[in-house]
Amino acid sequence: MTEILQVVFDALSLGSLYALGALGIALIFGVMRLVNFAHGDTMAFCVFAMLWPSVDAAAIVFAGNLPAWLLIPFILAVGAGLSVLSEIIVFRRFRNTNPATMMIASFALGFVIRYFLLMLYSSRPKSIDLWSNLGLPVEILGARIPLLQVITIVTAIAILIALTFFLKRTRFGLEMRAAAENFTMARMLGVRANRVIMLAFALSGMLAAAVALILVTQTGTADIQMGGNIMLIAFIATVIGGLGSLPGAVFAGFLIGAIATVMQVVLPPEARPFRDAFVYAAVIATLIWRPNGIFMPKSAKQRV
Amino acid sequence: MAERASILSRTIATPVILGLLLTAIALLALLMGSGPFNQTIIDIFIRVILVVGLYIFIGNSGVISFGHIGFTCLGAYMTAWLTIPPPMKKMALPGLPGFVLEAKLPFWVGVPAAAIFAALIAFFFGKILMRLSGIAASIATFAMLALINQIYSNWEDVTGATSSVVGIPINRSIWPYFVATLVAVAIGYAYSISRSGLALRAARDEATAAAASGVDIPKERLRAFVISAFVMGGGGALYAHSVGVVTPDTFYLGLTFISLSMLVVGGMGSLSGAVIGVVLLSTIIQILRLFEKGVALGDTVLTIPNGVQEIAIGVIMIVILMRRPAGLIGNREVGWKGFRKA
Amino acid sequence: MTLLSVNDITVRYGRLTALRGASLTLNEGEILFVTGPNGAGKSTLMKAIAGVVKPVGGSIAFRGETISGRSPEDIARMGFSMVPEGREVFGSLTIEENLRLGIGMRADRDQAARDLEMVYSIFPVLLSRRHQHAGALSGGQQQMLVIGRALMAGPKLIAIDEPSLGLAPKVIDDVYQTLVKLRDTIGLTLLIVEQSATRAKLTGGRMILMRSGEVALEGDARELASSDALKQAYFGYGEHGK
Repeated sequence: MTEILQVVFDALSLGSLYALGALGIALIFGVMRLVNFAHGDTMAFCVFAMLWPSVDAAAIVFAGNLPAWLLIPFILAVGAGLSVLSEIIVFRRFRNTNPATMMIASFALGFVIRYFLLMLYSSRPKSIDLWSNLGLPVEILGARIPLLQVITIVTAIAILIALTFFLKRTRFGLEMRAAAENFTMARMLGVRANRVIMLAFALSGMLAAAVALILVTQTGTADIQMGGNIMLIAFIATVIGGLGSLPGAVFAGFLIGAIATVMQVVLPPEARPFRDAFVYAAVIATLIWRPNGIFMPKSAKQRV
Repeated sequence: MAERASILSRTIATPVILGLLLTAIALLALLMGSGPFNQTIIDIFIRVILVVGLYIFIGNSGVISFGHIGFTCLGAYMTAWLTIPPPMKKMALPGLPGFVLEAKLPFWVGVPAAAIFAALIAFFFGKILMRLSGIAASIATFAMLALINQIYSNWEDVTGATSSVVGIPINRSIWPYFVATLVAVAIGYAYSISRSGLALRAARDEATAAAASGVDIPKERLRAFVISAFVMGGGGALYAHSVGVVTPDTFYLGLTFISLSMLVVGGMGSLSGAVIGVVLLSTIIQILRLFEKGVALGDTVLTIPNGVQEIAIGVIMIVILMRRPAGLIGNREVGWKGFRKA
Repeated sequence: MTLLSVNDITVRYGRLTALRGASLTLNEGEILFVTGPNGAGKSTLMKAIAGVVKPVGGSIAFRGETISGRSPEDIARMGFSMVPEGREVFGSLTIEENLRLGIGMRADRDQAARDLEMVYSIFPVLLSRRHQHAGALSGGQQQMLVIGRALMAGPKLIAIDEPSLGLAPKVIDDVYQTLVKLRDTIGLTLLIVEQSATRAKLTGGRMILMRSGEVALEGDARELASSDALKQAYFGYGEHGK
C-alpha cells in the first residue's frame, strides 16, 4: 500500500513538472501558432539568474541568496521578462510567416540563449544548493514522501487553478481564449493583438521559471542544458493533448509522468536506463492511432 | 520519357556547377598542402553531405525535421562496429553479436553499410512519422532524435554509453570524402528531378491540389525520408572515419542546429542553397574559431569568448529568416546563366 | 455627414488583383448595399475597410480619420463593427462570452450592460442558451450571435458580409427587420454585402454593384435593382441568381 502511494506521488510530481512545461508551450502555440524551441533555454536562463556570471567550476550564488519570498517573484520576473523580450525582439517580426519558419527561428533563438549562458558561465554543470532541506521526507498515510514532491504537486495544482481562474473569469483570459481560437476575428472585435501575445509570453515565461525553480531544487545543479529534456516532453505532451488545447496539454503532461513512473517500476533493472526511450517510443506509437492527439480541440477544424 | 530528358537537359547545369565548386575546394586543399587545412576541407565536405541529406527531405517535402542527425549517429556507430579492430571491440563493446565482433571490414565497406543501415531504420520510423504532417511531424522527428540519443547514450555493452568509442580507422586523404560528397549531390539532384521529388514539391506548394491529383503524400515523403537518411547515415560514417572517435552527444542538438542553420541560410528549397549555405557558414565559423583562439593585432591579442561563434550563427540565422525566409538562394538553382527558378 | 469614404483602393493577393481602384462613400444613418457576382471583390472590400488586408494603393477614411494601414483592433475601437462572411463565432466560448468580447473596448459599463439586455431582447433564443458553447448553435442562431456580438461594441457603423447566406427566409426577414429598426432607433449606419439584389430592393437604401474589383454602378437600391442596367451588369447573374 505504502509502495503504491509512493509511486502515485512520484507520478504526480513528475507529471506536474511536465504539465507546467506543456502549458508554457501550449499557451504560446494557442495565440500565435509558434512551437517555442527556446522554452527550455528560458528555463536554464532562470536558473542561472541566481548565480553571478563566472566560468569557474564553483557556483557563485548571488540572487539565489535572497529569501524565498523575494527570490520566487524575482525568478518569475526573469522568466517573464526574457520571454516577453524574445517576443518583442524576435517573434513579433515573424507574425505573418508560416509556423515552420517561426519554429526554426525559435530553435535558433534557443541556441543563442544557451550559448550566451555558456559564454558567461561555461558549459560545466555547477552545483547549487537551493532549499535542500525540502528533500527531507514527510509521512503521509504511512508512506515517507519527500517534502519537495508534496510542494511540487501542491504548487502545480495551485498554478493550474489560478490559470484556470484567470482564463475563465477575467477579461484578459476571455480575450486570450478568443485569440487562441480565431485571432483575426478577435482583433476585429477590438482585442489588442500585441497585448494578448505579450501576455501569453509573460505567462509562458513564468511557467518556465516555476519549472526551473522546481528542477534546480530537485537536482541541486545548474546546467545550461537542463531545460532540454522537459521541453521535449512538453512538446510531445502538446501534440498528444492536441495542439492548441490547454487542458489537453496538462492532461497529457500528467499522463506522460505516470507512464514514465510506472515504467521505472515495472521495467527490469537492466532496461531502466532506457526508460525515457521507452516513453518516447510509446508516445510516437500513440500517434499511429491518434495522429491529431488524444483530444481534438473544438476549433481544430479551422486550423491546418 | 521525353519529358524526363527535357527536365534533365534544363537542370543538369546545377549538379555540374556544384561539382565544379566542390572540385575547386578540393584543389585548394591540395595546393595548401597543410594538415589542419586538409582537415578543415574534409569537415566542409562532410557538412555538405549532411546538409544535402537534410535538403532531400526538408527541401522537397517542406516538413522541418529535427531528427535527421539521429541517422548520422546510426551511421557513425555502424561503421565503428564494422571497422574497429576485433581485439579493441571485444574490450570496449562486448555486447555486439559475434559475427560483428569478429568483423574487420575496410572503411569503403563500412560507409555504404552504415548508409543502408540508417535507411532501413528510417524506413521503420518513417512508416509511422510520415503519417503526421506539419508541426506535429516536426515534433515527432525531434522525439525520434531524443529516442536514438537515449538508446546510444545508455547501451553500455554495444555503444559504450556516453564514453567515447575509439579505434575507428582514420582516413586523412580528402579524396574519399570528395567522391562521397559528389555522390551525395548527385543523389540530391537525381531525387529532386525524379517523379517522386517533383510530386513532393508540388505537394509542398499546393497540398490540396496535389492530393486531388492523386499524389500519395505519405508514400512520397517516406521515399524522401529513407533516401535522405541514407545520405545522412553515410555522412555520419565518414565523420567517424575523419576523426576516429564517436560519442552520442556529437550527434545531438549542436550538430542539428549547425546543419539546419546552413540549410536555412542557403535556402531550404534548393540544392544549390544547401551547398552554398555550408560553404558560407563554414567560412564564417572558421574565421570566428580563429578569433576564439586569439588573433594578434600588433601587441595585443584579440580573443573572443567561447560561445560567440554559436551566438553569431544563431543571430545570422534569425536575421536571414526575417529578411529572406526562403534563404539567400531562395527557391532557385544555379544554372549556366546565373540562377533559374527551381 | 460622411462617415466612411473609400477612395480608389487597390488590393492584391500575390499576382491576383482583387480590387482595382474601388471607391465608395457612406453617410451617417444610411444603408448601403454592396452587390455583385462571386469574385467581384465584395468581401475583399470589407476586409480592407476592417484592416485585415492592406491595400497597396488608395486610402480609407472613417469618422474623418485615415484608417488605411491601421490595425484591425484600432479600427474596431473607432466604432467599426465587422461581421465577416462565414459566421465566425468562437465555438469554444459560451454565447455570453462571445457577446462580452465586444464590450471590452467600451468605457461605459452601464451602457454595455444595457446593450447586452437589448441584444437578448432582440434575439431571445440567445438568452435562453447563453451558457452553452456557441459551437452548439444552429447556423441561423450563429448568425444572430455574430450580429448581436457586433452590436455589443456600440458601433457607429456595422458591416455585414452576406447576412442571409444559408438562412431560412423567415430568419432573414427577422434579421433585416432588426437591422432597419436599429438604424431608425439608434442611428446605426449599415454596410451590407449581398450577392443578390433582392434584399436591397425590399429594404431600400443605396446600392453599389461591383464587378471584377471595381464599382460598376451606383444608385438608389430600389431603382437600380429593377433596372435593366443591373441585369446587364450581372451578365446573366440576374436578381434570381442564387
